Amino acid sequence: MAQGIVVDTTFWGARAEGVAALERELARLRRVQSAHARESVRPIARASVLNLIVYAEREEHARRAARSISDLALRHPSRAIVVLADRARERQRSGRRIDMHCQLPIPDGARQVSYEQILVRASGDVDDRLASAVIPLLVPDLPVFLWWTGTPSLGSRSFADLLRLTNRLIVDSADFARPELTLPIMASISEAARGRFGLTDLNWTRLTPWREIATAFFDVPAWRLFLDGITGVRVGFAVDMDGRDIHPSQALLLVGWLASRLGWRPLETLAPSEAGGLLFAIARPDGARIMVRVRPRFERGLEEGDISGIRIQATGGHGARQAEFVVKRQPDPHHQTAAVLLDGERRWERTMPLPSPAIVELIGEELSILGSDRTYEAALGSLVGLA
Amino acid sequence: MGTARKPLSHEEYREELHKAVAQYSRTKPLNEEVWRSFAEHLHFVATPDDAGYEDLRRMLDQLDFALGTHANRLFYLATPPSAYEAIVKGIGEHRLRGETGWARIVVEKPFGHDRESALALNEVVHTVFREDEVFRIDHYLGKETVQNILVMRFSNGIFEPIWNRQYVDHVQITVAETIGVEERAGYYEHAGAMRDIVQNHLLQLLALVSMEPPAAFDDKAVRDEKVKVMRALRRIAGDDLAMNAVRGQYTRGFIEGVPVPGYREEPGVAPDSRTETYVALKLWVDNWRWEGTPFYLRTGKRLPKQSTEIAIQFRVAPHQLFSREALAGLEPNALVLRIQPDEGISLRFGAKVPVQGIRIRAVNMDFDYGASFMVDAPDAYETLILDALRGDATLFTRHDEVDQQWTFVDPIIKGWASDSSGGPAPYEAGTWGPSEADELIERDGRKWRKA
Repeated sequence: MAQGIVVDTTFWGARAEGVAALERELARLRRVQSAHARESVRPIARASVLNLIVYAEREEHARRAARSISDLALRHPSRAIVVLADRARERQRSGRRIDMHCQLPIPDGARQVSYEQILVRASGDVDDRLASAVIPLLVPDLPVFLWWTGTPSLGSRSFADLLRLTNRLIVDSADFARPELTLPIMASISEAARGRFGLTDLNWTRLTPWREIATAFFDVPAWRLFLDGITGVRVGFAVDMDGRDIHPSQALLLVGWLASRLGWRPLETLAPSEAGGLLFAIARPDGARIMVRVRPRFERGLEEGDISGIRIQATGGHGARQAEFVVKRQPDPHHQTAAVLLDGERRWERTMPLPSPAIVELIGEELSILGSDRTYEAALGSLVGLA
Repeated sequence: MGTARKPLSHEEYREELHKAVAQYSRTKPLNEEVWRSFAEHLHFVATPDDAGYEDLRRMLDQLDFALGTHANRLFYLATPPSAYEAIVKGIGEHRLRGETGWARIVVEKPFGHDRESALALNEVVHTVFREDEVFRIDHYLGKETVQNILVMRFSNGIFEPIWNRQYVDHVQITVAETIGVEERAGYYEHAGAMRDIVQNHLLQLLALVSMEPPAAFDDKAVRDEKVKVMRALRRIAGDDLAMNAVRGQYTRGFIEGVPVPGYREEPGVAPDSRTETYVALKLWVDNWRWEGTPFYLRTGKRLPKQSTEIAIQFRVAPHQLFSREALAGLEPNALVLRIQPDEGISLRFGAKVPVQGIRIRAVNMDFDYGASFMVDAPDAYETLILDALRGDATLFTRHDEVDQQWTFVDPIIKGWASDSSGGPAPYEAGTWGPSEADELIERDGRKWRKA
């Protein structure tokens, strides 16, 4: 066999020679299931409400994605096309090939629904032809979601080709190798995507509880007036003990969101005092200068890149009172404590649960949305000026 | 009874058929016992000249006597049309029709290469056979799902009432092939997609989906209605051509990840060939039922996926209650008749996504032939040849149908031939055709389905 590619067929199913053979095999598997089901008087429905293309460059990522899809199958039965493109072999032009495997798994706890799982295993430099193997596998009429694990290979033809098929692109900026470079490019993709496909980031979904609490502060009429007088923001994000893996995407998105909502304009990026941190000078709509600091912090029990806390400083009201709005993750780390300090005096404090959804739940949420998320796109747009 | 110009013994002929049947038959392995008793009745006579035809007649008469077949004869011409004249003449002059039984002739496509040659071909056939004895095969009509178009439309009460301009926004008919020109370059170079697919298959599908209900399911009533709707097809000629017809030609690209050459690089194709391998058309059926509802047809070689389907797209709900965000996933209702592969029917409608608040998503209600009946449909040719033996011409093309097809197609081909500006628009193999085809439909605010 060329390249000696070994595919675990118990997990990915039998290899099929071409798309027609693969469809025949799926049809055969469906019939077998129907026949079994008739005996037990439990017909199985071919259910699919969407096409999900997963792009992965490592077998472990592909498997993890396949397991997530299995967990989601009851909520979002799909035709899942897992594209595993082996970049390590990319430069071996001699052994370019694309293999296909298929499987009809029945998700745990379900007897009546099956979903379709297809592995498209690419090896060698197949950038120019990868999409031609994926297009004929899509179920017509169903929306197409593209879940791109890792850093999108911008500039690659297969990325561009797959995007053309897509209704919604899902990325996880937590996996971006150089988010400060990749996030602005995502912003330009979203700019170009307008009206053609939606774009989302699992890291953005992880921010939801933080955004909720940050806005809730300013729902209180007494504190509302501080919103226009923000003077500084600090966002902490988790790093590992030796501070080597720096993933500031979530924190950057939070800053982008604040900037886009409040009409801030970036002025300059300054050298931060601590390694791995970021320091921005930003202008408020009234022209005043705000310092925004994004700081890596070691926190036990947190995923790298997760937000550990937010501190917003503001002045406002008669006599220019100083206010501080603080949200901190508890050490447990499934709770957060929000507090408001007025002239250094603690006026309000509350501890709330802080959900930390698993990838499966995040993906499940994203698959139920088809349109674009304008708030996210605006937050991304604001980031361009920052980085 | 087999016949050809080159000589073969009965045994050699049986051996050839045995190999072919063993390879292509739907039932495998071949039951040798059954084959032996069948093969006893297989004979071969060479007909290189008049003496050959005389031998053939003697042989047929002998068999009639031995088997009691009453001189009932079905002539099947699996030859290029250029040979028809000599064969039909031979059948006539050597009295192969027999005197007592019926005689029918099965003719394969192409039925001419334009209206004039179709008429000439017809005259040749009519020197020996009456029109009701001529069975022109378009194998599409023998397909189970194509026949099912009629069943679905005319045996159900719920579809026909909305099968008109009031409810249908537009119709899309797609015949997409992944194969290239293969070994047919000699024929294809002169035919192109227009003659190869549009003139017969696509127009047949169009007729079945747009025709009025026939009074009976017999050859006359069904074919009368088909001819009637073909007559209502608005001609595309002159200045309309550029706005309503697009032709394309594939360049090199990839099919299922495998590199394939461009059309002009194929063996037997001229390096500056202007033959079209893709056609997209916007058509109007000028009658009471379809006034204002366009039909979009497309066909092409080296498209990303093999697929033949008819999609009836309905108008959107007259008043939208829901917010733009809620409607983001909604598409107009569509009824899709899938002809191949995966024969079936699906109906697309909007459903509420199970979350708090309203979010609407298009979902498919799917009927899958294979999974519902769990039997393989007979091959189109099995159906059609049996019909010809029985004398049922419903699924065959009558001459006036062929005539109407050419009357529609000829001006387009002529217009393209005389268009000196440019040939077919290039499209990369493995894509859904040239961008001009997208513009054709997008001008109207619609888009091609991802079939």
